[in-house]
Order: sequence, then structure tokens, then C-alpha cells
Amino acid sequence: MSLTHFTNATRRILVVDDEEVIREATRDYLASHGYTVDCAREREEAEALIAKHDYTLVVADMRLTGGHGREGLELISWLRECRPDARAIVLTAYASPELERESLRRGADLFLEKPVPLSELAACAGRLLAEFA
Amino acid sequence: MILDPCLLDAIIEGDGLEVVFQPIFHHRDDGWRLHGFEALTRGPRGTNMEGADVLFEYVRRKREESAVDRVCLARVLKAARQLGSAPRLSFNVHASTLGRDREFVTYLAEMLQHHARPASRFTVEIVEHAPMWGGRSFQLALDDLRALGVSVALDDVGLGNSNYRMILECRPDYFKVDRYLVAGASRDFFRRAVLRSIADLSGSFGALVVAEGLDDSADLQVALDEGIALAQGFLLCRPQPAAILKAMGLLRDAPVMAFNGRRALAASAGASA
Repeated sequence: MSLTHFTNATRRILVVDDEEVIREATRDYLASHGYTVDCAREREEAEALIAKHDYTLVVADMRLTGGHGREGLELISWLRECRPDARAIVLTAYASPELERESLRRGADLFLEKPVPLSELAACAGRLLAEFA
Repeated sequence: MILDPCLLDAIIEGDGLEVVFQPIFHHRDDGWRLHGFEALTRGPRGTNMEGADVLFEYVRRKREESAVDRVCLARVLKAARQLGSAPRLSFNVHASTLGRDREFVTYLAEMLQHHARPASRFTVEIVEHAPMWGGRSFQLALDDLRALGVSVALDDVGLGNSNYRMILECRPDYFKVDRYLVAGASRDFFRRAVLRSIADLSGSFGALVVAEGLDDSADLQVALDEGIALAQGFLLCRPQPAAILKAMGLLRDAPVMAFNGRRALAASAGASA
């Protein structure tokens, strides 16, 4: 096992998306880079997991099932309060300059427009988490 | 785009919920005897909800404690049939369920009758994860529980919102002391002092104390020395399905083990898991 993988395995990532295909592909790709990855489909499920585990990074789609279209942003706001050190990436297929500003204001470290190549997402995660090294 | 169905719907349908029971033992002069079982509900295996902490945190965030408490109650009473009606059975209920759901106690009474389980052998363990609220409706529900003959336990005494105010509101028959206060009491003067304080307080209320989360024999001895005679934890027995507990012979009204024989019981329980 490489040193990179050894280090990544201690970093836990939460992927929040209500599309199973995207969720599982993202999980598998990040896990192949050595990260420990959990998935959630709803905001409340994500919050319950965050309450239990120390995630170093949360990757959240902005729109999740059962809400009004900004559940991902609300999750990030809550994350900032209870896990201020965690990094956060917001993904959306409905990007706009206003939404990007709103995401960053709520505490996201990165705002990415879907579709995001998994290699790019992993590279972004790696850069953000390098600060934890 | 294919979206997943809401998790909550599956939980309320009872899909995949599993029930296990953890024995609570009473230390007496002639050894340890079974005092009762705490029923514990687990979410579907292999999901984020498998662990009770994530399952119920999710339910609380959905503000559906009442609906899920009802589903769990039905599952627990059905599963507990294998234990017979003699052992005392404890069941966790959110304080918010008692405060918001005025029909919950009526539902409980109907379910107890349906499953031929005597109310006098049933304990409602109140779990509180939000600041004390509910006031009048919560008190009415407690009155209804007592009128039914059900005992009341306060879970996680000394932590979070299970504080002095909650103790005064509930006047519990059982004080359940969380693992946080129990673990390490044999090596921590101040933890031991807190245990002693809770034991003294419970005496004033005419209540019993249960030390939870015991997995160290030295901590168990400290609890006993401080007057806490009821104990629950992996050291004594892991949570198990009813059929396994029955096979272990725990349902007999006889001393289940000598004090220094508890390891054997814990080991046999672990082997059955």
C-alpha cells in the first residue's frame, strides 16, 4: 500500500446525492483512491451520519429528495456549525454565479457544476484534504 | 434520473427492522438474577440505519419519532413473545412522542393487551434528545402510563437533557446511568463520586439504578460498592435475539451465575452472536 493510500484511508468522506448511480460511482471512485467513503441520499440521513462520524470532507449535491432545491446548501450550513474543520464541496447541475456565491457564503470550499468528471472530483478532494496532512 | 424512495417510508413500514434484547441483571446475596430485558431496535442490515444511533438520529431529524416509536413497539412486543410474559421488558420511547402523540399511551395499552403482556412487567424508558418541552401533554402522558401500571425509567441520567429538571418531571422508577459515567469509574475518583451521587439521589426517589454499558469487571465492582445493584452491558451479556436468550437458559427464575462467573456468561453470549 502506498503512503498516499495509507493517509487517505484515515480520511472519511461523505457523499450526499439522491441519484443512486451517481452516489455509488462517486463512492467507488473515491474508495479506489484509498478513502473511506459513506453515502447518504437525504439531508437528514447525512446529518445523522455526520453526528456520528468525523468526516474530513462532505461532497453534497445541492438538490436532494424531499426538499425545496437547496437542501445541500442547508446541509453545508449545518456542517459548518457542528464540524467547522470539515471541508465541503457543493455540486449542482443548475450552477449560476449567485448560487456559487451563496454556497461559498454558507461555508462550501468548492462549488462545482455537474457533470463533474470523477477524476476532477478526486483531484479537488485531494487538494482540499492536503491541508489535513 | 432515478431517485431513491424515502428511507423513512421503509422504516415506518417496518422493512428490515430487527429487535434484540439485552438482559438487565440484579445482584443479590445469592448471586445474579435476571431482572428484565431492554428491547433494542436495529435498522436494516447493511444500511446506514443498521446502528440504532444513526437510525434514531435520522428519525428525530425527520421529526417522526412518534410514528417510528409505534412501529418499534409493535415489532418489540411481537419479538418478545418468545421470552414469555414473566420477564420485565423495557422499551425506549422518545419524550417527544409522549409530548406530541396523545394517543400513544392508549396504543401502548392496546398492544400490551393484544400480546398478553402485563403492564406491571413493562417499563417505558424515556429518551430525551431535545430540551425539555411538552409540559402539560408530557405530564398527562406520564400520568396515563402510571395509571396503566407501567414503570417509568429515565435513560442517560446525567447526560444531555436527562438532567435534574427531567428527573423532577418524570419521577422515574429507574435511573439508567449511561456508559459515559460508568466506564472508567474504577480508575476515576470523580466518576465514582458521580455514581455515588446518583445512587443517593435515586434512594430519595425510591427508585432503582441501572448501570449501563458495563464492559469492565472493575467498573462493575465499583457500581456494586456504590449501591447500584442493577447492571447491563457487554461484560454480562450482549444484546441477542429472543430465541438465543431463551436457549441460553436466562428465563429461569434462578441465579444465573456467580459474581466471579460472569465472564463465562459473557463469553457464551458472544459465541452465540
